[in-house]
Amino acid sequence: MAGSRHRVTMRVNGSEHSVDVDSRELLTDVIRHRLGLTGTHVGCEHGACGACTVVLDGSLVRACLVFGVQADGADITTIEAFGNSASTLHPVQQAFWDEHGVQCGYCTPGMVLTTVKLLEENPDPSEEEIRAALSGNVCRCTGYVFIVEAVKAAAARLREGQDPRAEVAP
Amino acid sequence: MTETALTVTETAQPKLFGARVRRREDPRFLTGRGRFVDDIELPRMVHAAFVRSPFAHADVTAVRTEAATTTSGVHLVLTGADAAARARPIVCDSTIEGWQSTQYPAIAAERVLFSGQAVALVVADDRYLAEDAVELVDVEYSPRPVLSSVKKAIAPDAAPLHDGWGDNMFIKRHFVGGDVEGAFASAHGTLTLELTNHRHSGIPLETRGCIADWDPAEELLTLYTASQTPHLVRTGLADVLGLPESRIRVVAPDVGGGFGIKGHLFPEEIACCLASMAVGRPVKWIEDRVEHMLACVHAREHYHTIEVAYEADGTVTGLRALVHVDCGAYSVYPWTATMDTGMVLGILPGPYRIANYECRAYSVATNKCPLGPYRGVGRPAGCFSIERAMDEVAHALGMDPFEVRRRNLVRPDEFPYTSVTGLVYDSGSFLESLDLVIEDGGYAEMRRLQAEARAEGRLLGIGFACYTEQTAHTTNEFIKRGVPIIFGYDSAIVRMDPSGDVIVQVSSHNHGQGHETTFAQIVADELGVPMESVRICFGDTAQTPYGHGTFASRSAVLAGGACVRAASRVRDMLIRFAAEVMEANPDDLEVGDGKVFVKGSPSASTDIADLARWAYHRPEKLPAQMESTLEAVASYDADPGSGTFANAAHLCLVEVDPDTGGVTLLRYHVVEDCGEMINPLVVDGQVHGGVAQGIGGALMEEFVYDDEGQLLSTTFLDYLLPGTTDIPSIGVSHLCTPSPFTLRGIKGMGEGGSIAPGPALASAVADALSPLGHVFVNELPLTPERVKAFARAAREAGAAAAAGAAAGAAAAGTPRSEAP
Repeated sequence: MAGSRHRVTMRVNGSEHSVDVDSRELLTDVIRHRLGLTGTHVGCEHGACGACTVVLDGSLVRACLVFGVQADGADITTIEAFGNSASTLHPVQQAFWDEHGVQCGYCTPGMVLTTVKLLEENPDPSEEEIRAALSGNVCRCTGYVFIVEAVKAAAARLREGQDPRAEVAP
Repeated sequence: MTETALTVTETAQPKLFGARVRRREDPRFLTGRGRFVDDIELPRMVHAAFVRSPFAHADVTAVRTEAATTTSGVHLVLTGADAAARARPIVCDSTIEGWQSTQYPAIAAERVLFSGQAVALVVADDRYLAEDAVELVDVEYSPRPVLSSVKKAIAPDAAPLHDGWGDNMFIKRHFVGGDVEGAFASAHGTLTLELTNHRHSGIPLETRGCIADWDPAEELLTLYTASQTPHLVRTGLADVLGLPESRIRVVAPDVGGGFGIKGHLFPEEIACCLASMAVGRPVKWIEDRVEHMLACVHAREHYHTIEVAYEADGTVTGLRALVHVDCGAYSVYPWTATMDTGMVLGILPGPYRIANYECRAYSVATNKCPLGPYRGVGRPAGCFSIERAMDEVAHALGMDPFEVRRRNLVRPDEFPYTSVTGLVYDSGSFLESLDLVIEDGGYAEMRRLQAEARAEGRLLGIGFACYTEQTAHTTNEFIKRGVPIIFGYDSAIVRMDPSGDVIVQVSSHNHGQGHETTFAQIVADELGVPMESVRICFGDTAQTPYGHGTFASRSAVLAGGACVRAASRVRDMLIRFAAEVMEANPDDLEVGDGKVFVKGSPSASTDIADLARWAYHRPEKLPAQMESTLEAVASYDADPGSGTFANAAHLCLVEVDPDTGGVTLLRYHVVEDCGEMINPLVVDGQVHGGVAQGIGGALMEEFVYDDEGQLLSTTFLDYLLPGTTDIPSIGVSHLCTPSPFTLRGIKGMGEGGSIAPGPALASAVADALSPLGHVFVNELPLTPERVKAFARAAREAGAAAAAGAAAGAAAAGTPRSEAP
């Protein structure tokens, strides 16, 4: 039955939020339905698909495997922290767009967050390292081919310090 | 202007048709601003969870709801009896003689026919409370014998699962064409082969989900649902609820993958509508993953026995097939339980000239989750059978398997080719694609790598497969299949607004296929306006013309064709108007670069934006009898409705570990021919995705039921999906044989990628194991356990062959007294 309620405070995409959550409430539900940040998706609720990937205190986590109360005091980054329009995309988002790394779009936020984290830690990953880093994120549409190409393209641009937006074709 | 003529115009803006245009829908997904069903919140919304049967077959003897309904925060418990009083069950009947009908209730009342079937619906303040209350609903069951397999269901003593049935067959189909007896009687050799495709499914990353919102004041039902087919869901709902369609609005927003699985009217959707009507509030249900695995729809479970008659030169002269498909408990709407059997019956001969063919195909009812269409529908299993058969003919004759195909493939000068089953292969590049995959796929290098690996004791194998795929089939084909709704067309409205921008409302649904880009390319070309000023609208039955939705590799041809037609009508209006304004002959005018201009002298022009503004705001400028609205509706059916046939050849390289049973896919190459491409980038993406799903079904994805009909693979820990480390980079080469049957020569291609990986991988595994001995790889998926068994069988066959060769050498010179 319903557990006790707790006031939790978390910093999400740079803004402080205090919310009352049930002790059993998943972080996915807190992010999606209490904070309205619906870019974090839910695909399996058992930590296997990666659609709910967020960055929590610097680490990639499956938000479906974290209770909201566990995130008290945490610093969380979701997809909404990145570019919010076609003209303000992060280089990783831009590369996914340019390389056709998106089909239905459901896995996309988790893929983008995982890629951003990978490239922070390893600016020049091999294809094998890219595939290993993304192996916990399921995409059912793309066969991963263009996702891997997008990660390579994003890595190259970030290394070169290019502003990919300058290259956008009409 | 004629529809089929490609207008060649000297304009600054090049034609967008055929361009590798980046998708316009992507920014909203990349920024987390897609809007999926669970992202929608309505005022006063409450949440649903289902009570599901733990038994695969049982009578429901009691449902006690008091403990749940009296719990704080619970608004409603809806039982099967409640649902039966307010809604008709889903009935989806084939018109084919001998069909046996099922009644699939929104919620089971008296009997459950598969494990996971809904027996009650709980509505509460939130999902957590609803799931708590599910535990409080007390259901009593009286278990019945479970028919957990085709074998059990077709046993002579098996009791029929459905009242009034004589056996457990939804449908028994029989086709015979040509002189099958004669072909077998005169054959150089014959083979009998058994092949199995186990059950798996499309597994979209977003599960099903819906919000039902009944407005009692307006008597209007709005259903937001993750669907590929919103109009068909509306029709189905109207039928079961007894409401006119004008009282139902179905909205399919962004959908997180469908693959055919989300192209159904589901019992859960009906139950949520009934719940919203009962509580007078919006009711949201978001399926969890276990529910999806248990109770959505499954696909693919085929058992084939194939007999092949062949000549000494490899020509296949006769084919007999016995097909059983495990269709689960109910016939699904709007497809019926005939889809897989009908598809296999029609397409089993594949791209080959097989004139003598007989097929018996049975749709079998069992105590399992209903079977529905999934990317490829029956064709992956059909392709598996015929391609493996071709490899076995080659083996029996000691021939090159490519050569056997070449002898049997329909040749370029034979198109349009009418197959033995009456399918009209409009055009294709069957032989060319085979030759090109050998070249582009690096076949020679694969053989070199294989030889090097063998020298090191490693087992590499090369496999390939080819197919032709019927796409964009409409009226004629669906009449033949006997489905209750003839999916004969799709539709579009093209509307130019006073600013000169264009809204295109289409009946297809976009959930990854790129329609917001490709249809904009088509319309922008047709109207001579920039792509940026064209916006595609889909998914809401209140905002789109009636049509069937996105499935069966049809949208580019049919909805795309409807866009061409509707846009060309608006273009004709613009030209007529411009002719009046410019005092010119309409025949001398054309569109481009945002203008209507005089052919050959582009400076004599009128801006389309001005024409649009005047049409709405300066109607006195219009020609007599011309209306102000710059809009047109069109539907398109790709006459003659028999479809257009795409084709492909796949080539792969694998490494097999015979001790662990592990199969590592090293290379994969596809040559595909879908005629004219609207956007090659999107085509490539669809090929990749289809191949990856095909690889999943070939190597790892499997729904395993036990003897009691309990599903054992209900999570992603025991139902494995291919990940980044399972799928290699997939090469794609294109051939272009335009369809003579469709506008712009387009062929459908969304499903194709998933058809050939099964036989290609099986062929590769057999080739890898061939140094051990010959084994007929006849079962998918190729899990480690099965591959180990094939490796054992190969070793035994190799040992037997060696012993036979030794015995043969010892007995050399003596006449053989008996057949081997």
